[in-house]
Amino acid sequence: MRVSMKWLRELVDVELPLEALVDLLDMTGTKVEAVHAIGATLEGVVVGLILTKKRHPDAETLWVTTVDVGGERPLTIVCGGQNFEAGDRVPVAVVGTTLPNGVTIKKAKLRGIVSEGMNCSATELGIGSDASGLFILPADAPVGVPFAQYHGMADTVLELEVTPNRPDCLSMIGVAREVGAVTGRIARVPSTSLTESGEAVEASVSVAIEDPSLCSRYTARLVRGVKVGPSPAWLAERVAATGTRPINNVVDVTNLVMFELGQPLHAFDAATLGLQSGKRAISVRLALPGETLTTLDGQERALAADTLVISDQSGAVALAGVMGGAATEVTGSTVDVLLESACFDPASTGRTSRRLALISEASMRFERGVDANGCVDVLDRAASLLVEVAGGTVAPGVIDEYPRPAVPAVVPLRISRLNALLGTELDRARVAGILERLGLQVDGPADELTVTVPTFRPDLGREVDLIEEVVRVHGMGLVPSTLPAGRGRVGGLTEDQERRERAGAALRGAGLNEAITWSFADPTDAERIGWVFGPDERPVRLLNPMSGDQSLLRFSTLPGLIRAVADNRRKGVADVHLYEMGSVWWTAPGRKQPKERAVVAGVLAGSWNRTGWNDPGVALDLSDMKGVVESLVEELGIARFRLRAADLPHLQPGRSAEVLIGGDVVGWLGEVHPSVLASYGCAGGPVAAFELQLKPLLKAARDVRPFTDLPRFPGVKMDLAIVVPDGVPAERVEQAVRSAGGKLLDEVRLFDAYRGEGVAPGHTSLAFALVYRHPDHTLTDEEVTALHEKVVRKATSAVGGQLRG
Amino acid sequence: MALIDELQELRTTGLESIAASDDLAGLEAVRVALLGKKGSLTGVLRGLGALAADERPAAGKVSNEVRQALEEALADREAVFSASALERRLTAEAVDVTLPGRRRAPGRQHLIEKVTREISDIFIGLGYRIAEGPEVELDYYNFTALNTPPDHPARNASDTFYVEDLSGDAATVAGESDVLLRTQTSPVQVRVMENSTPPIYILAPGKVYRRDVADPSHLPQFTQIEGLVVDEGITFGDLKGTLEHFAHEMFGPDRAVRLRPHFFPFTEPSAEVDVSCHLCNGAGCRMCKGSGWLEVLGCGMVDPNVFGYVGIDPERYSGFAFGMGAERIAALKYGVPDLRHFIESDMRFLRQF
Ligand SMILES: [Zn+2]
Repeated sequence: MRVSMKWLRELVDVELPLEALVDLLDMTGTKVEAVHAIGATLEGVVVGLILTKKRHPDAETLWVTTVDVGGERPLTIVCGGQNFEAGDRVPVAVVGTTLPNGVTIKKAKLRGIVSEGMNCSATELGIGSDASGLFILPADAPVGVPFAQYHGMADTVLELEVTPNRPDCLSMIGVAREVGAVTGRIARVPSTSLTESGEAVEASVSVAIEDPSLCSRYTARLVRGVKVGPSPAWLAERVAATGTRPINNVVDVTNLVMFELGQPLHAFDAATLGLQSGKRAISVRLALPGETLTTLDGQERALAADTLVISDQSGAVALAGVMGGAATEVTGSTVDVLLESACFDPASTGRTSRRLALISEASMRFERGVDANGCVDVLDRAASLLVEVAGGTVAPGVIDEYPRPAVPAVVPLRISRLNALLGTELDRARVAGILERLGLQVDGPADELTVTVPTFRPDLGREVDLIEEVVRVHGMGLVPSTLPAGRGRVGGLTEDQERRERAGAALRGAGLNEAITWSFADPTDAERIGWVFGPDERPVRLLNPMSGDQSLLRFSTLPGLIRAVADNRRKGVADVHLYEMGSVWWTAPGRKQPKERAVVAGVLAGSWNRTGWNDPGVALDLSDMKGVVESLVEELGIARFRLRAADLPHLQPGRSAEVLIGGDVVGWLGEVHPSVLASYGCAGGPVAAFELQLKPLLKAARDVRPFTDLPRFPGVKMDLAIVVPDGVPAERVEQAVRSAGGKLLDEVRLFDAYRGEGVAPGHTSLAFALVYRHPDHTLTDEEVTALHEKVVRKATSAVGGQLRG
Repeated sequence: MALIDELQELRTTGLESIAASDDLAGLEAVRVALLGKKGSLTGVLRGLGALAADERPAAGKVSNEVRQALEEALADREAVFSASALERRLTAEAVDVTLPGRRRAPGRQHLIEKVTREISDIFIGLGYRIAEGPEVELDYYNFTALNTPPDHPARNASDTFYVEDLSGDAATVAGESDVLLRTQTSPVQVRVMENSTPPIYILAPGKVYRRDVADPSHLPQFTQIEGLVVDEGITFGDLKGTLEHFAHEMFGPDRAVRLRPHFFPFTEPSAEVDVSCHLCNGAGCRMCKGSGWLEVLGCGMVDPNVFGYVGIDPERYSGFAFGMGAERIAALKYGVPDLRHFIESDMRFLRQF
């Protein structure tokens, strides 16, 4: 909402300096988004007196004038206007002036005569639509004075952010009331004097509301015999200050009144409305099937069934509250104007304007709600202004269909409740004073107020609404700051939240950096990574995605993490160590909300460090990724964790595993399949990755691990190398060794896995460092020898291996 | 007394050769030559048996003295050698301490998670718990129960992401589904109020989604942190005091805080919260667009209509709610000029914080 300070001062006294007023509005809920200075652009335009006027010797239509602009000598100005005489005063743009239309005045020869400036029309000054001749000023206009100053053009316009609950502030009078309330002044409603004559309006017009739920009131006045033409400067200027383009005197009047009082008006050319029983018969109804309307902007629009229209018997003539029709528009030949002032349903108006992408000043106001009880005042104001600027006579009477009268709300307000909710100690006088300045009526005994709310404040229907008004105008800054006093509360994290924190810390400790990637997925992701959904499962589709490549919700974090690696590589960052905790989704036929699953995932590419003076920069692979997950699992105190080789489509065969916690598969780990990397343009070497479901991980976690006694007797170290054929996993060999060693085998550590010379092809030598230890005594050589022989024998036979010689 | 003379001679020559030895190996050779099984002293003492019985004690005494003298000299000489050997080793092992260290750098927490954690800790300190909920929500929890009218612009398909509903239910909002990506974490608050009784002190951080094109100041996916308190006797002053405490913890104890009245459907009264700019101390700079204030929060007293939806008696209980964007807070506090950094996973960005 643009508010002209000049206009505002006519409606309320403003004594504060501008900056203080802006601050005060900000702090009472009407945010001032910008302050514009208007009129400065007319610098160089002054009031001039035409001394002489002679026909140009070489041009029929031009005049050569001498003009006194208060300088040392008169200026010679060649002029094309025809509507002036010597002795007239006009605005003169001197050389060097840039007019609002962008033209800069230069000293120039016009048909051989040097012109030293320009005598201006209203259009050239951007203050009206009359371009037919010079803008003739009153005879007392002081020569040489800057035009903007003389004309009172210098103005300041505030751009206000009006919240959706305050339709009243979409009008000058509403803003004036608001300014009055916060500065302790009373706003002045513009007065209207109307003279009616001729035949009564009822004789010429009839109105029927078919659907009162969508139109609670429809009022109309008829003004006969108007002369449509350019608006006078004051009107054009005022309309322009609201940010609207002046059009003609009729339209400008309706716009002026809308901005002044907040009620949109529409003007019909009465003669274009169909006659029924000798009357212009209007009905307010829903659009008929297949009905179309050509709107003011010349577009033919198909009307949906729930579109509210104004119609005559031939069909729709206007979109109620949104836009008029081209056929009934006021034109230069219009004689009788039918002014409409109505109250249309906010939701219906909003739907129509959104569906047709027609957001107008009128639709915006109807959508937020206009005051039905103001309709007739607005009509009177518009009719009287119309007669003033366009002549004609106002037909006696008002058409007023008002099937659903708006009733002022009567709202009880307890001062005690107000203070209890705000934490204040305001007294009745302070509270009542604020409410009354807002235009509310306050009655009732000391603590229990009865507040009558005028219908222009539809947002105030409950006690709490009034409490908000009071604290807003009183000043939120004046409310004492306290902290809630409630007893018996303890802050903290839940067990799962605390475990999730630990999981993150473990992954960071293992070298991974936290990433947040998009929750969206590309429909081609599933195919690219070969993702296999369950029999009934399918990815979650967005109905209105921002783009095609983000039209699903992700079902895995892998595509996002591969993209992250690829993006980093493209930027020259080769070492990428990331983890992410977030949700993945899928759905199934019959499901409303999709299944949402929290996962933890990670990716490793490049090496831990760039090759350095003391670091070989070893390429990261599956083994490093497994190490990270081992750290995670250890930090969470999860005992039963293992990998099981498995062929997964998104992973490289032979470097691909399922992750098991307590015997259940909770995710996967491996190196991403080279062709998957290729499909994401992720060149530059292997990428290891994992993704685990968070829930089973957190569930298996232990927060307290019991103490285990430290060994009291020395252990005996022995090495053991077993050669096994391919396909026997190291994990199984280790288990065989452990089970053969029993309780006395205290430690088993795989220290070498060797293939090559000395080991038969198709075989691997697995070398373990063993520590035998007895809890109660130092083992003797004999005991150890016997034990070790048993381990060798049982382990080799259990896995079909041989002791390496 | 030829034997004793021989011993004295051995002492003299022995001490000379010990002194003349160059290193530990030479010294060891000297020791073997003097005191070994086939050494000089053994050789001389072989003549002991040939002596008369009364001469033997004197000769034995001298031989012990010579042995002792030689052993002492050997030990002294060895000490000299090992000290210098250590010295040489230490010299050889000296390094350039300005060379980079050997490390595997621990990973970093994402700035948004870090800020979220920082904010959570402030409110945990005030007795709040952390509440969570689904990111794909029902219209009811995201809008209706939060007092959002059916035609509210936020519900438009141009603002909110809607998700395919496979249940076969008809949507309550024409042309759209009742399943959506939550646009705020307020639905978590509704669920908590539905499932528990006051006192309620919760903070609900989490991802939210709005249909904005990603640009320096918008992301279609971002992180919202909302708080809710419902208890007996909660006042607007409590809300103000709570947010002032938060602002001082988050942005520094000298920050000024102001509440500007605003409008939200789910709170009444509602306000926006500004914190005085920490870069210019309120004088006005580029960060605060010259105003001296940074808008960081929206807040208000819980609207009685919202209590109505979840069955809490608004005459007995009152409450407040507030919400902020973690990305905005992080951008303001750490001076990140473009929110898109948060979602791009650039290692060089992630490693900074
Ligand atoms: Zn600043």
